[in-house]
Amino acid sequence: MEQLLAPARVAGVPVDLARYADNIGITPPGRLDAGAFNLWGNTFPADELPPPGEVMVHGIPFLFPAGPGGGPDNVRCAGQLVEVPGGRYDWIQVLAAAERRTEDPVLLHFADGTVDPEWLRVSDFWPETEARFGERPAYRLSRLHYPRHVDRKFGPAIWRQRVPVTRETDLAAVRLPDNPAVHVFAMTLVPAAPQEVQE
Amino acid sequence: MNTLPDDVRPWRHDLAGCLHGCLATLLEQRGIPALPVLGAAWTFRHLPGGVRREEYYYPYGPGESLFGALAPHHPVGSRWHRPADAATGLREVMDAVADGTPVAVAVDNYHLPFRPAYRDVHSNHLVVVHGFDEQRGTVRVLDAVPPAFHGDITIEELTAARDSGNEVVHDRDMFFTGVDIGNRWISLELGAPPEEFPSLNRAEAARVIGLNLAHFDGRGGGDGLSGLDGQQAFLESAVKRVAAGEDVRDELFVAAGAVLACTAVHADWLALAGRTLDVPGLVEQGRAVERIAHHWSALRITAALTGDGQLGAGRLARRVHALMKDHESVLVALDRERAEL
Repeated sequence: MEQLLAPARVAGVPVDLARYADNIGITPPGRLDAGAFNLWGNTFPADELPPPGEVMVHGIPFLFPAGPGGGPDNVRCAGQLVEVPGGRYDWIQVLAAAERRTEDPVLLHFADGTVDPEWLRVSDFWPETEARFGERPAYRLSRLHYPRHVDRKFGPAIWRQRVPVTRETDLAAVRLPDNPAVHVFAMTLVPAAPQEVQE
Repeated sequence: MNTLPDDVRPWRHDLAGCLHGCLATLLEQRGIPALPVLGAAWTFRHLPGGVRREEYYYPYGPGESLFGALAPHHPVGSRWHRPADAATGLREVMDAVADGTPVAVAVDNYHLPFRPAYRDVHSNHLVVVHGFDEQRGTVRVLDAVPPAFHGDITIEELTAARDSGNEVVHDRDMFFTGVDIGNRWISLELGAPPEEFPSLNRAEAARVIGLNLAHFDGRGGGDGLSGLDGQQAFLESAVKRVAAGEDVRDELFVAAGAVLACTAVHADWLALAGRTLDVPGLVEQGRAVERIAHHWSALRITAALTGDGQLGAGRLARRVHALMKDHESVLVALDRERAEL
């Protein structure tokens, strides 16, 4: 008999992006013009998103950003070099959204000095838009904030996307792409699974 | 007069906008599958001074038509109608619809209750009109751009949107504002009956890809900047202008939006052709062209951020370089695929 199981918690190492965050994409109902995720000043409604701190998305722990009143809540990608806790990882999981779907390589910097490019692909945050890269929605909201009103007919999405780490070496940093259409809200490193027998 | 045909369906592409959506709906209402026609051409054109502040901007020269520019490889054209006043504009559209011909009308979102911009932001948009109920005083409108709407509004609301001056009022009236809407409407004109449109077979795929390659190779003709050299010249000029402190934000943003839509829809055409003809290489090149579209997504937002100095010429130049390099590569690969068809 098929059993329905709660998603298992994945061991993960959340990365604190606070010092890289430079965009306000989340606003409370009373301060609609406090942010501007996109060119038109649209923002995600804070009361439909978790408070700052650790949250679980699809069984993966993320550090949800500061948000309303606490300053910028996401990193608009501009080639920032994000230092990460050193270690062996299989995946870089992100909560992200884009102004129109796009993709670019991230550069994975390893402790031994090597660098590998891997793709970061993020679908459009715009409401009524499906994921194009096979991501799963971390949050699909019911309304969209405009600077002077709230539109309740539709709501935007924040996606959970992942980037593989194929090199079996300690990761040290991640260079985000220079692509201002991509916004990263949170990042978590998933430790490598010991799948191969070590000779 | 009550006219409510039921063969008018929404069509949307996430990297295109109201122009592609409207043309696709009008094509399919005539029994012509949209993507094989709308997605066939992959081109770059820029007519200096010709970028219009419209969500439905697409470059086309004298003697050409807006819809024809989107589908130059097929017998598709269009005609803009510029009525003298709102009453004439309403009567013209009602007559066309009564004849069984849905049309697209230019509107200012500020006056449309189903748009988020309602009574907030002016924007020059395009929607399909395909029904009137004069007893109720309503018109049936199809807008596939989210929040998608397919329903009735009052004739007064549509008239206000069509007769709008589309004024620039505040700082969020960007890009698509400041041009009189003028009750304009556009009709689809077919140069051949639907049954004579080419089927998507190997010969047709080879023909279309060959035409696109010829265009990017500079053999496509036309006014202004075109093809791969024209694209490079346009983008390098934009970089130089940003470096010189010139404001290129609006022009580059609007122009990039048109190229983005063309490129992304063509990527889907290649994928469709590859799956239909069982040619995996075409599907792969569809994905490669999609990558070019994703460059344009990035470049479009990059352009928008040049306006207030947030983003400088160096970052724009790096994106342009990466885009052009990938574009050249995919043209080589497409030529190889075409030769095997």
